[in-house]
Amino acid sequence: MSSEQNLLAALSDAMVEAVARAGESVVLVDARRRFPASGIAYSSELALTADHVVEREDDIYIQLADGSRKSATLVGRDPGADLALLRVSGGGLTAAEPALEPARVGQLVLALGRPTEEGIQASLGVVSAVGGPARTGRGGLLEKFLRTDTIPYPGFSGGPLIDAAGRVLGLNTSGLAPGGMALTLPTQLAWQTAEALARHGRVRRGYLGIRSQPVMIPAAQQRSLGREQETGLLLIGVEEDSPAASGGLLIGDILVGLAGEPIIDPDQLLSRLAGSLVGQSVMVEILRGGQPMTIQVTIGERK
Amino acid sequence: MNFTTLAFNGLSDALAASAAEVVREVQRSLVALHNGRHGVGAGMIWRKDAEGAFILTNNHVVAQGRSLRASLENGAVFPARLIAEDVEVDLALLYIETQDPPTITLADSRDLHVGQYVLAIGHPWGQRGVVTAGLISSLSKAHTRGPRGEIEIIRSDARLAPGNSGGPLVNAWGAVIGVNTLIIGGDQGIALPSHIADEFVNLALSQPTSKGD
Repeated sequence: MSSEQNLLAALSDAMVEAVARAGESVVLVDARRRFPASGIAYSSELALTADHVVEREDDIYIQLADGSRKSATLVGRDPGADLALLRVSGGGLTAAEPALEPARVGQLVLALGRPTEEGIQASLGVVSAVGGPARTGRGGLLEKFLRTDTIPYPGFSGGPLIDAAGRVLGLNTSGLAPGGMALTLPTQLAWQTAEALARHGRVRRGYLGIRSQPVMIPAAQQRSLGREQETGLLLIGVEEDSPAASGGLLIGDILVGLAGEPIIDPDQLLSRLAGSLVGQSVMVEILRGGQPMTIQVTIGERK
Repeated sequence: MNFTTLAFNGLSDALAASAAEVVREVQRSLVALHNGRHGVGAGMIWRKDAEGAFILTNNHVVAQGRSLRASLENGAVFPARLIAEDVEVDLALLYIETQDPPTITLADSRDLHVGQYVLAIGHPWGQRGVVTAGLISSLSKAHTRGPRGEIEIIRSDARLAPGNSGGPLVNAWGAVIGVNTLIIGGDQGIALPSHIADEFVNLALSQPTSKGD
C-alpha cells in the first residue's frame, strides 16, 4: 500500500497537522484549585475560557504551547454563557483561527485541551447535534449549541472544538448543562461574547421589569393583530420604576411584539433582550382589552 | 446524485478499503489467549524463531493461569508456555511451537504525535477480533510500582473493554505502536508504547533459558 493509496494514513497525517496547528492557540488556564483547564487564544493578548474554571480573580496563570508561563488578569466574565476573558501580561499568544462556516451534524471534529504541562490533548468525534435555544442553569439563554461524541477529558473545558483543517468551531465546556454534560458554544456566539467582554468588561442584557406567562391569543384578536400569532405573554407583574412601568405597561396587557418582532414565549423575549437594545427606545406591541396597541419603552440594563 | 455525494462516496469507500486492508493485516498476528476458566485475553505474535512464536500479552491476562492456550487467527490452538513476565509494566511473553507464524510489524513508538489515527484490536467480552478506532489523545507519563518509577504511556480515545488487554494499538499503516493495557493507573484507554514492550522482549530473549526448556 503506497501513501497515495492509504487514505487512512493521509487522514492520520491531516489530523496530526490540525492538532499541531490549532494546538498553538490552546493554552493552559490555571485559575482554580488542583486541576487546571484550557483556553483559546482570542488575540495576541486575550484568552477566552470557560467561566466555571476561573474560580479566583487573582493569581491567574496561563501556559502557552511553547511552555512559557505568564500571569493573567480577568477582563470580564459572562456566567450565563459560561465564558470568561483573560488578559495575558506581555501577550505573545497565537490567535486561533475561527471556522468560516458553522458546524454541521456529521462533521468530523476534534476536541483539544491543554490541562497539563505534558502537551496538547485531543479527542476525535463528529458533531452529533446542533441544539438551542436553551436556558442554562446559570440564568442565561443559549441561542445555539453543539453536541459531539468527543470524549470530554478532565480539564478540556475552555478548549476548542476544531474542524479537520484546525479551525475553531466552538468552545467546549461541561459547566453549562445539568450533570456536567459537555457541550460546545459555537464560535460565533463565543467570539461575540468575547468582543463584548473586551469592550465593556461584561455582557449587557436588556431589562424590561415584567413578570409574564404565555397565553393563547383568541382568533378574533389575532385578526385584529393582522397576523397569525397563537401565543403572547400575559403580564402578571410590572416592577415599580422599571422601564416597563415608565413606558406605561399594565398588568393584564398581553405582550405580542418587541422592536418590530413577534414575541411568542419567554425564551424569545429573553433572547431578544440579550441583544443590543440596552438604552434604546423601542416599540412594544401589546393587546389591551383585546385591542392592539404600541407603547414606547426605553430598554434598561439587567444588573 | 450530485458531485458532493460522489466525492464523499469515493472518499469513504477508499477510507473503508484502506482500513479493511490494515485490519486484515493486523488480525493475522493477533492471538486469543485462554487462561483456564478466566475467559479470553488478547496477545500478538511479536517475534518468531525456527520452531515457534513468541507471543506478547499483558501479565494479568496470564497470571495464575494453569493451562494457557493460544488460538491463532487460522483457528489453530496451541498450548503456551510462560517464559518471562514483568509485573511492573504488566507484560508477559509466551512461547508456542508452530511453523512460520505471521508476526506483527513494529512501529517506532518514540516518534508519536497527538492526533494520529489509531486502531485497537482485541476480543472485548470474548468476541474475537473486534476493531475500535480513534486517535492518540495524549502522550504522558505514569508512575509505576517498580524500579522504572515512571513510564511513558499512550492514551487513545478508541473504546476499549476487558478483552482488549494485551492486544495491539496500531497506526494507520497497521504497525504496532502500543499494547493496550487497561489496568495501569486504573484507567481505560491506555497503551504501553511498543518500544517498552520490545525492550522487555529483548531482555527476556537474552536470558539463557528463555524458552523454558
